[in-house]
Amino acid sequence: MKLYYASGACSLGIHVLLNEVGADYELVKLDMRAGDLQKPEYLAVNPKGKVPAMMLDDGTILTEWPALATYIAATHPQAHLISSDPVIAARTLEAVMYINGTVHLAGFSRVMRPAVFSPNPEEKDAVRMQGKKIFGDGLALVSATLGDQDYLMGDFSVADAALFYVTFWNNAVAKVEAPANINAHYDRMMARPAVQRAMVTEGLA
Amino acid sequence: MKLYYSPNACSMAIHVLLAEIGKPYEAVRVNFAESEQYQPAFVAKNPKSKVPTLERDDGSILTELPAIAYYLAKTNPDKNLLPDGVEGEARSLELLEYMTATVHMRGFTRMFRPYAFAFTPADEPKVVEAGRGFVTKGFELLAPILGEQAFLFGDNFTIADAGLFFLEYWAAHRCNIPMPAVLNAHLARLMARPAVQKVLADEGLTA
Repeated sequence: MKLYYASGACSLGIHVLLNEVGADYELVKLDMRAGDLQKPEYLAVNPKGKVPAMMLDDGTILTEWPALATYIAATHPQAHLISSDPVIAARTLEAVMYINGTVHLAGFSRVMRPAVFSPNPEEKDAVRMQGKKIFGDGLALVSATLGDQDYLMGDFSVADAALFYVTFWNNAVAKVEAPANINAHYDRMMARPAVQRAMVTEGLA
Repeated sequence: MKLYYSPNACSMAIHVLLAEIGKPYEAVRVNFAESEQYQPAFVAKNPKSKVPTLERDDGSILTELPAIAYYLAKTNPDKNLLPDGVEGEARSLELLEYMTATVHMRGFTRMFRPYAFAFTPADEPKVVEAGRGFVTKGFELLAPILGEQAFLFGDNFTIADAGLFFLEYWAAHRCNIPMPAVLNAHLARLMARPAVQKVLADEGLTA
């Protein structure tokens, strides 16, 4: 397995999961600022021009965060990253998709890349504010799911790796006031060896 | 099982899956024109104020289109709504996530609600165009995956086809966006299915 990633991007969550299951994998680093994601070499691998992408052992490419997480979980069942109970599995995916689709793509992306949303350069700050609101409201909703548990589904699951990458962004960039249980979850994640190794490898710690 | 839906919204995909499965379900219309999704009764069910929202018989709520689709497929294994194996599941979620998070939310949402992206009304046409670009690129990417097959994973209808259906239906019946020929054929194939015809009739849409 080969993971295409960019340092500190949402691929960080998948990187963490590969470490968590003890997968045998290679890393291919892309430099987002240098425009690597839009270069022909990478578009030949993943025409979506996004990370994470994974090359499976048969040479095919798998994309989309929830799909990669599901694949890693299903190929390493001993790690119990997704429950075999279909109700809990669906809840896990529900949390992951909300974090990817709303907290990240509707919220954080507005903070990072306002010009993709409004064509008017004068609206940059307004778009960023709107993004922070969506991002903060999203964390509040995830906070209700977390409650006083250690992890989102009770036991550690792929959903925690999704929450981890957005809380990493919150601490590094967005800096919205997060609920106490979300911050405690972040600290809990940072104490996991798999997370620490991914942070060091990506040059983030 | 109760599905909260809005006519011609992405909840159509889940509505179609429930009709395909053929077990009793109740479809409850959420009146978006009257902002019912923001009123306390609905917010108490789904604080995201979105459809599809699935209420299971024990009263618990499940949201997010791909998660609901996955749940329905897993709990109705006799309907073969997921392709086999680990890879089949991962590929299904890959497609559904791309359809919902990119083609729908980055593409069609810009076309339906440009004011949620740009605050100056004069800029809205640019947002609509950007949305159309995402949709067009999305169809270009999805078409070769379908290829000449009847359905995304071959001869059997699966949850990914229900995802592709609402995008194709919007392109053809809501936004007039040209699609690659294989997608037009896929839409025609789906429109001929009794479950789809029933859903279109129940939602009051053009069949």
